[in-house]
Amino acid sequence: MTADKGTSRYDPTFARELSKMENGEYVSQCMQCGLCVVTCPARHLMDLQPRKYFKAIQAGDKDKVLKANTPWLCTSCNLCTVRCPRGIPIIDFMHGMKKYLADTKGAKVTPGALFSKTFFDNMISRGRLWEAFLTGMFYLKAGPKAMRDAMKMTDVAIPMVMKRRLPPLPGKAVKGKKDLKKIYKKASALAKEGH
Amino acid sequence: MAYIYYPGCASEATGKSNHISFEAVAHALGLELAGEIPDWNCCGATLVANAIGDFAQMALACRNLALAEKKGHDIIVACSSCYLNLAWPNELMRINPEFGKKLNEALGAANLSYSGKLKIKHVVDVLANEIGVERIKERTIKPLNGLKVACYSGCQTVRALRRPDFDDVEYPQVMGRIVEAVGAEAVDFPLAARCCGGSQQFANPELIYDLTGKVLDSAAAAGADVIVTTCPMCAMNTDVFQEKIGKLNKKKYKMPVLFLTQLMGVAFDLKPKDLAFGYNIVSPYGKLKKYGVKK
Repeated sequence: MTADKGTSRYDPTFARELSKMENGEYVSQCMQCGLCVVTCPARHLMDLQPRKYFKAIQAGDKDKVLKANTPWLCTSCNLCTVRCPRGIPIIDFMHGMKKYLADTKGAKVTPGALFSKTFFDNMISRGRLWEAFLTGMFYLKAGPKAMRDAMKMTDVAIPMVMKRRLPPLPGKAVKGKKDLKKIYKKASALAKEGH
Repeated sequence: MAYIYYPGCASEATGKSNHISFEAVAHALGLELAGEIPDWNCCGATLVANAIGDFAQMALACRNLALAEKKGHDIIVACSSCYLNLAWPNELMRINPEFGKKLNEALGAANLSYSGKLKIKHVVDVLANEIGVERIKERTIKPLNGLKVACYSGCQTVRALRRPDFDDVEYPQVMGRIVEAVGAEAVDFPLAARCCGGSQQFANPELIYDLTGKVLDSAAAAGADVIVTTCPMCAMNTDVFQEKIGKLNKKKYKMPVLFLTQLMGVAFDLKPKDLAFGYNIVSPYGKLKKYGVKK
């Protein structure tokens, strides 16, 4: 195994590249204590647990990071963020990471990415969420395997519809929908500028 | 000083009973509400920041703060994720003037602005610390003596500001004070502030089965008759998915999940339509029969 220049799987510029994304500046602060790992409720389903994820970024193991499902399993429970001894707002970092992955070629396409995007599309087009439509759109976009998964959910969906907790018709849309689009456009531009 | 109310999207669907019972309990306690924030929009929940980043999501959520400020009222929120998404940028404005400047630049695109001066309060905070347990006790007509309650605060309510706010970030106590004020017993429930899996029902359902299963097991082990929460997502996962998880774990939980204001409504002897039990999946009638709750 030779680590010739150009054939190494480690990319020394990767951590610097990530530090430029929104909330990416925190990545260098991780000191590998592992408290986030013992805290994380989703660690057992992650390809790389949070501590190793930070390590892989710091080491420049780009391919591994792009393929890992780690951020997509974060539930935003905020427990690691309140516990981190370095005060890293891990939840914010994960938000930045998810946006970065969604915008990056070669990153793993996950159901979590698709669901988040579908949710946002629903929110920005109506101003408020229409949960039944969101669920349907997600399964439609996710393809045949997801449709089979959807069938497995009917035992949950039917009681929800019966109990009127998943109204098939939308509620009121927001009058200021255009304002939301303007705010979104401006805020996105400002977030890019800042990093 | 009246609060203006932010209902959030769940109030129209999965968390409808939270919304209905909150308004009824507020009225019963004489908590003045100046209506809803006019033309309020979705706060982004736990998902929008994944797609568009933190700052853009916060800017969209803060349109609600700008609209509330025009009306001149502090905000009361009944949903955990909405509370986080409104209260956290509000806190950021306090600690980081740079953020406030940038936020107003974004809001300015829609000719809106926000000063950062409003207070944003969660229902549990207002009930416990402003209305107070004494008044809740006084208003109680049917004390829920003998009812054992697992108070499930969940994640985002107590950790919205990333520091102890009105409650502890790891061992919440405040909901228990309210539950005891209406005569019930708040059992020792170790997973009170642990995650149910949040909004991953479709993307990673196995995570929900696992985490919500642990929460249900913990509540059952604590001897709880019912779970009480203020979070629509916690309620959905523990109530709607309960039977499915029971099948997977070969257990029959039979654990009704009530929103806090539904439970208070029983003690206040409110009308059935205000209790909104018609939306509950796991039937609460058996456990609540002795307190006069009829189908």
